[in-house]
Amino acid sequence: MPSLVAPTLVEACKVLAHKNDKGFVFVRADGTERFCSFQTIDQEATRRGAHFAARGVKRGDRVALVIPDPDEFVLTFLGAIYAGAVPVPMYPQLTFKNVESYHDTVAHITNASGAKVLVTTESTKQYVEPALARAPKVKELMLVSALHEPAPGPLDVRVTPEDLAFLQFTSGSTSRPKGVIVTHGNLAANSEAFMIHGLGKDSSVDKGVSWLPLFHDMGLIGFVIGPLFTDIPVVFLPTASFVRNPRVWLDTIHKHRGTITYAPNFAYALVAKRLKDKDLTGLDLSCMRITGCGAEPIAAKTLRDFSEKVVPAGFDPRSFLPSYGMAEATLAITFVKHGAGFHTDVVEKAELTKAIAKPTSVDQGEDAQELVGCGSSFPEHQVAIVDEHDKLLGERQVGQIITTGPSICQGYFEEPELTAAAFKKRDDGKIWLYSGDLGYLANGELMPPLADINGLRHSGGAVGTPQLYICGRLKDIIIIRGRNFYPSDIEWVVSELPGVRRGNVVAFGVTVDAVGNHVEDGTGEEQLIVCAEATQSEAATISEQVRQAVAAQIGLSVYKVEIVPQGSLPRTSSGKPQRRKTKQMFVDGTLPKPRIKTED
Amino acid sequence: MAMSRADLLSMFQKTATEIAEKEFKSISETTIISELGIDSLGMLEIVGAMERQLKIQIPDESLAGIQTVKDLIELVEKRQSPVG
Repeated sequence: MPSLVAPTLVEACKVLAHKNDKGFVFVRADGTERFCSFQTIDQEATRRGAHFAARGVKRGDRVALVIPDPDEFVLTFLGAIYAGAVPVPMYPQLTFKNVESYHDTVAHITNASGAKVLVTTESTKQYVEPALARAPKVKELMLVSALHEPAPGPLDVRVTPEDLAFLQFTSGSTSRPKGVIVTHGNLAANSEAFMIHGLGKDSSVDKGVSWLPLFHDMGLIGFVIGPLFTDIPVVFLPTASFVRNPRVWLDTIHKHRGTITYAPNFAYALVAKRLKDKDLTGLDLSCMRITGCGAEPIAAKTLRDFSEKVVPAGFDPRSFLPSYGMAEATLAITFVKHGAGFHTDVVEKAELTKAIAKPTSVDQGEDAQELVGCGSSFPEHQVAIVDEHDKLLGERQVGQIITTGPSICQGYFEEPELTAAAFKKRDDGKIWLYSGDLGYLANGELMPPLADINGLRHSGGAVGTPQLYICGRLKDIIIIRGRNFYPSDIEWVVSELPGVRRGNVVAFGVTVDAVGNHVEDGTGEEQLIVCAEATQSEAATISEQVRQAVAAQIGLSVYKVEIVPQGSLPRTSSGKPQRRKTKQMFVDGTLPKPRIKTED
Repeated sequence: MAMSRADLLSMFQKTATEIAEKEFKSISETTIISELGIDSLGMLEIVGAMERQLKIQIPDESLAGIQTVKDLIELVEKRQSPVG
């Protein structure tokens, strides 16, 4: 159990409640800022909590939140926590994603969580309200503005470490969203793990800067909850501001002298691509102590490209901190030692397909695969690799990544079967989380990753501690720009199209490089491929419809649509198309012809 | 000077081509943006680039309703100074 932080999030906030000169800064889209000291945060959370209590929200009641404004979201989230309730964060409507499918998601998550109250804002209400017709358990639609009124009475709720803190819905299947049960004890344990043991935080100098969405674990736990447990000020930017202009992220780090930031791989790629040399004028990034990377596979090339771009502004590549985590483990599972920079392991591609990570050298070109090390687990936590028979594997043997410790969550809310499948007791008597990701542990020869840049020479991670390398995943989840997509959702959307028969569609992700070649050496980006059986004469029309339907309903652009003759997709004995085999045939170029390529 | 709708349409086409790194041949005001295969992040990138070129700002909440190119152009028009 954590000993260096408070036992619950409420107590953590109370520890900071006297500080009126330190806290969170919320930068708005127009650049203006709102400062909320830790004192203000405590007062606001108490007031909002009292409103919830006065409206009959009791300990353990779920409260759904659809609040786009980061400041209002954080204060309302904490208000619900103070009231002993269980907030359920949901993402606000995104641009032009099909309104119907947004309503589906809101209704599904609200129903699955059993929330009786949904809190939203005046501007977002119109996008949420229509969904409530399908969420009969919601008794009240509350506006954030109602929580601004003076407190209707005192708040007297005691929260314990065993209490459910919030439900973290994974960005999973829309037809069956899974709410990860996160307790206050989990939050305390993981916050201590990543903020203190992982980042080596220094409350006298550190400051976080984040544009990560707050309905996602990395933004919410990484930059709201972890910092509250450990007395770290944070500057928040709207996610949309970063996407509109990636430079805003670096400008904010410069202006506020941020020391800790985090983002998925795609964000570093976006900066490297969009930032112009003239944008660096006047920018001093020498303050960046931790440049974290997680939530999706990390490509060494992306980190090198980013580094090359911003080193002239004083960026130190040793600040890179690749990591591995997932919502079911609260957030963080492994971290590279802070200050060590990133390092890679180069292995033989052919051996990797046989589940062996055999070291080789980058000189082997096509036959070599470079993987970024994701570090090691935290004190009181463990990581191991098992084969399909649940047998523990040794170093450099590839298998499923499993982890245990006080950060492991209690399962999925009201989903005993899904919980039993992912959270299993092993012979050691501990509950282990089966991640569904494939990887291996190795000490390896740690390479100096960026030795030539800026004359910096550093040796990579801590020698002697086995490092975790991620090679892929057991499940067929498609991860694009840090978001998880279930192939079944995409296949369902495509199956609805006229001319496509249900069950004759396969969706999968393939990593491709900038010119569209399939690569597995960590230099590419994951892209969505859809294969559908249809009449060849209609191929062009159907391809276009597939693109439109997936963009409108899933919010993703399809990289390539392959229309294959009817009955030609590989199937299981029960007649279902096989995703893995189809993907392999796509990669090998052996899908049945005539193939219609429509990427242009 | 505020730009005309035709100018804004061609600016959209040019910006979309740059961001998505592919040619869009026939874009009109009635084109539904998602049907161009542009996803929500790509769309935000396009909005950001247009905001910078025109030195305007479009509030996040008004973006949620955008479906067609016309919807976006009208939002931009509203934000441009009427007296130029």
